[in-house]
Amino acid sequence: METEGQNCRMGSYIYRPKKTKKVFERIRGASVIHILSHTLYFLSLYLSLYLFSDQVRVFPILERVDSAMISDSIPKASISMASSTPKNLPKKKRANRSAKVKQNKLVARRGQFISQVKNKIGCKDEANGEGGLHGGASVHPENERGQAMEKLEINPRGEEEIYGDGSPMNHYSDSESSPLNSPTSHTSSVLGSNGSGVQFTASSRSGSSSGRSSSSSSNGCCSEIMSEDDEEDDCLDDWEALADALAATEKKEEVHNPESEFDSPPEKHGIGSQSSGVVINPEIGGMAVKRDPELCRAWSPDDAFRPQSLPNLSKQYSFPLISERQLSRGGPVWGCKNVGGTVPTSCPICCEDLDCTDSSFLPCLCGFRLCLFCHKRILEQDARCPGCRKQYDRDDSIEKEATLDGGSLTIRLARSCSMITRS
Amino acid sequence: MATVNNNGPNQDSNPNTNTVASAKQTIPVAKTVDTQSVLKRLQSELMALMMSGDAGISAFPEEDNIFCWKGTISGSKDTVFEGTEYKLSLSFPSDYPFKAPKVKFETTCFHPNVDLHGNICLDILQDKWSSAYDVRTILLSVQSLLGEPNTSSPLNNQAAALWGNQEEYRKMVEKLYKPIA
Repeated sequence: METEGQNCRMGSYIYRPKKTKKVFERIRGASVIHILSHTLYFLSLYLSLYLFSDQVRVFPILERVDSAMISDSIPKASISMASSTPKNLPKKKRANRSAKVKQNKLVARRGQFISQVKNKIGCKDEANGEGGLHGGASVHPENERGQAMEKLEINPRGEEEIYGDGSPMNHYSDSESSPLNSPTSHTSSVLGSNGSGVQFTASSRSGSSSGRSSSSSSNGCCSEIMSEDDEEDDCLDDWEALADALAATEKKEEVHNPESEFDSPPEKHGIGSQSSGVVINPEIGGMAVKRDPELCRAWSPDDAFRPQSLPNLSKQYSFPLISERQLSRGGPVWGCKNVGGTVPTSCPICCEDLDCTDSSFLPCLCGFRLCLFCHKRILEQDARCPGCRKQYDRDDSIEKEATLDGGSLTIRLARSCSMITRS
Repeated sequence: MATVNNNGPNQDSNPNTNTVASAKQTIPVAKTVDTQSVLKRLQSELMALMMSGDAGISAFPEEDNIFCWKGTISGSKDTVFEGTEYKLSLSFPSDYPFKAPKVKFETTCFHPNVDLHGNICLDILQDKWSSAYDVRTILLSVQSLLGEPNTSSPLNNQAAALWGNQEEYRKMVEKLYKPIA
């Protein structure tokens, strides 16, 4: 489960930044209050766990879902403790914190998404089912992990709680905890760029956790959302490049998800290295988790969430189509749309470009094409086709006279048109 | 063709006198347009000739006048003219390509259809001219004319008479041939 959440985050996040936004919106409206309550609770749990438990212990606990169950009792008592601890943390750790917090947020969001999607997707059901089975217990393992990680981690988890609903929360926490606990978790520091906004939220939450004021927590959520949006924008630029690499990893992750947590952390490392500059990815990944089942395939052209920045194949095809249309337009004017032979782009006599009228003008059966100006000039002289030296039709000679007289010019032109259609 | 050429302008002038002065105004405008179109045509021809890379023919405008070109053709293989190279001058009229350019041999050429002044008797340069021809096709035609003369209407009767004896003809070609400086 945990690995799944992590893996999914990375890949899915990159692919669908827009969806993540929507998810956030949903989360805001529906479960803000619920999330807030959860966050406060979880924050307290994390703090308590962190204080009491050694990091060494935490790692094995994280690895095992069952171990998580144990930690459940601890958090409630330690709520006050937790609030104090995060404040004490040194600034150096902030970067890591923010990254972790972000990861946690992503995980939580992802979990929410998953829960929403559960009914629709069978694959997700499995992951969710685990989370559901654990119920509150599963939450605890998250807490344990967070404690093990750092005090800062507590805040992010709180965020997770906020976003997550019950079972999905568990998934998030697992995925978060695994990266954090594992040595690879340091790679998450890459996320530090996002950190500023996240940290702020975290601090606000910590304060809120102590005071349990819903307003503060809500503010934290908003700030988080904002930071996420910014990140998403950044991701849009990079996501295309990462998409290919991530696609493979995502598939693997999905396969491994039900398996042990161990698989997930290494995957995260790989992903983190790939994303490098793209700190945003992990958060997005969390968002994308619900998408994962769908993500196996690349963007479909008709996908509503498909980024507009993606090259549109249909556009490429449009060019030849347009050119064909233009040619067809020229044809009807003269009624000789499909005259045989290739149409030169320029008049072989004067080297001027042939317009639609000229290109559809076929004065001689031999197929030699020329512009109307050169044709008229030749008619005024020997009236022989440059291509075959044959005299142009008598109609042409008559037309010449007509032009000289300036009288029945239009009628003559009509005749020439009929001739063309014959050819 | 000369007669035909003369007829063209005459026809144009007649209506002018008949109608009004307005026709006169159109004429100079048309001439400037023609000059531009001729320039464009010659430039594109030069470009095409440079890009074609045809062996044995080449041409390039003289220094300041794109209406006068200097061309060279080399005798085709398996002909008495093999190994020789001839320089030609091409002079394009202002109504080119509706009128044929004047093509002359600058290098002495002992050929049934080339007189002692270098004038060439070639149908496509006279009554068989077509505006679809260009410098490249002219030079290729002259090159092929070297190996396939029309002895029925010769400009150089001596060459026409000697054409039957290729060995002797070859000797005459080598004797009279003066390589391009």
